[in-house]
Amino acid sequence: MIALAAIAAVTSATVGLGLYGVRLARTTSDLFVASRAVTPWWNAAAISGEYLSAASFLGIAGLQMKLGAAALWLPLGFTGGYVALLLFVAAPLRRFGAYTISDFAEARLGSPRLRLLAASVVLLIAGFYLVPQLKGAGLTLGQVTGAPYWVGVIAVGMIVAGNVASGGMRGITYVQAFQYWTKTFAIALPACLLLIHLGGLPERAAMFGAELPQAGAQGLTVELDAAEPVTFPAETDYAVDGEPAHAESGEEVVLGPGTVTLPPGAVVPVAEGTTAQTGDEWSRPVSDSPRSSPVFVYSLLLATFLGTMGLPHILVRFYTSPDGPAARRTTVRVLGLLALFYGFPAIYGALGRVLVPELYLTGDTDSVVLALPEAAWPGLGGELLGALVAAGAFAAFLSTASGLMVTVAGTVSHDLRRRSPRDFGARRRRFRFAALAGVLPPIVLALVARGLDISVLVGWAFALAASTFCPLLLLGIWWERLTARGAAAGLMTGAVLASAGIFTGLAVEGTHPTVEAVLAQPAVLSVPVAFLVMVAVSLGDRRAARKADPHLLALHAPEGLAG
Amino acid sequence: MSRLPTRLPHEELAQTTAHGGLYLRRLIRSQLMLSVLTLIAFGGLVGSLPLALYLVPSLHDVRPLGVPLPLWLITVPPFPLLVAIGWLFTRRATALEDSFRELVEPPS
Repeated sequence: MIALAAIAAVTSATVGLGLYGVRLARTTSDLFVASRAVTPWWNAAAISGEYLSAASFLGIAGLQMKLGAAALWLPLGFTGGYVALLLFVAAPLRRFGAYTISDFAEARLGSPRLRLLAASVVLLIAGFYLVPQLKGAGLTLGQVTGAPYWVGVIAVGMIVAGNVASGGMRGITYVQAFQYWTKTFAIALPACLLLIHLGGLPERAAMFGAELPQAGAQGLTVELDAAEPVTFPAETDYAVDGEPAHAESGEEVVLGPGTVTLPPGAVVPVAEGTTAQTGDEWSRPVSDSPRSSPVFVYSLLLATFLGTMGLPHILVRFYTSPDGPAARRTTVRVLGLLALFYGFPAIYGALGRVLVPELYLTGDTDSVVLALPEAAWPGLGGELLGALVAAGAFAAFLSTASGLMVTVAGTVSHDLRRRSPRDFGARRRRFRFAALAGVLPPIVLALVARGLDISVLVGWAFALAASTFCPLLLLGIWWERLTARGAAAGLMTGAVLASAGIFTGLAVEGTHPTVEAVLAQPAVLSVPVAFLVMVAVSLGDRRAARKADPHLLALHAPEGLAG
Repeated sequence: MSRLPTRLPHEELAQTTAHGGLYLRRLIRSQLMLSVLTLIAFGGLVGSLPLALYLVPSLHDVRPLGVPLPLWLITVPPFPLLVAIGWLFTRRATALEDSFRELVEPPS
């Protein structure tokens, strides 16, 4: 009940601020980029607020609990991405003064068709990124109220679309800044209080030693609503609805529906798709298993490092800085704010392994952050902290999904048609309609994608962004000879290779560990190929390259020069 | 509605000062050098971490406060390092732009 009230409070604060903002949005420039007059600290909090999604709030801890410490490379890559943005993109792109990546592509390379292609890739990436946000919403509402998964997915989808349709970005800058602090407070306070309450990390044997996750001193009782195929890693006596049963080591059993009980100290069976690991295997950030091999880790770091700059909902935020140096200062502040937040998810992943091992059985490791407070601290204390993390998680879905919806609606209403209506009212109506229509495909996909991990889904969005917009931006900004044809070829190659890797990886299992790692995280292959294609096709393009001088000037000349 | 960027008219710079274009290219090159050098420093420090942990698995047995050292190494020191690198880069990049501005604008 308390948790539901907290969620309602965060949601209505978001919607309320959004509605307040709409009164201030008067021009197209307001609607898209908040008139470009936001101070670096506000803007940095807004960027971080928009960036810290379900993947950061729930996904990192969930993946860490499931796969092990290899998941902790994610926060490093998520933050490192802003270093790449700072070094190569932030200031020049802000100076160039286009609203979106599609605007940049058209203005820099002078091809309306390239604009269409870029807009399609924007929609693809935003779609990939929206799905896990909605999945997180379904999971959270289910955890808090026991509502079916689809209720949360549809509710958050509709709230966000409605809010974006009515608010625009003017309101959203302040909403996002507010949500950064909500999220950081909501993840930091419970983590610190739990560590104090427990007196440090409990039962290190299961975390870092030779043991598998075990039922606690009271045994373990899990209610299963549906039949659940699981594997028992060790010989175990258990009971279903009070009927005693026995499983040999390595035996696969379909449990439930019903109440499963394990005696104290029994090794917890694991759901399909999860491998039981000893504490020692689990706590190694790199090892020889496919999901933590060096190839996988480097590919993941590359995708997140280069993908961040290609996330369309993040890039548009840089236009709200007044000039190039302000864009740089904003980015450095973002690095600091993200570093602060990312200190905490790992605590949940580690504690969850010991305190909520039933998630290994149900496979819902993504909800570890939500389930942990009440499991670790029975009573009112745990309930209040549980409400706080649930509210923080909702702040995460709402903010990222809103940012993505603004991008989707902007792209559909502004980029996909050659002509925009002149009249502001008509443009705004079209923007609203696009927001409402654009949310439907991600809702459907989120309903289908329940079994996929949040962090894995987000990892693909990063891989896709790194393989498409990263080469376009880097070469477009720093290399005079890039041509429209080269850019188009590179965009298509990158998008096709990255998606092909992801979908093949889903369909194919049990190949060579390195092959599996590349399919699961294709950036290590698709990014260099996309760069190569872009360069090679541009060099071979016999049509005279557009004279790049004015563009170079617009990108790189410092502000405040007397003309 | 025009979709072209608004700052294009800065072309004047290239035409009014004879050396403007040359200076601009020099600025771009030095900015790019700065970015690449920073990238190498950053990539060298953070990028060598996975390989080092992979090649020296025994680091796992060193446990400050009961937590294996590799976990500390990937969760704590890289973050302040990122902020420091970002801050230093920003200072240098701004300084490069300031000296370009002095070069192009005749003292009045």
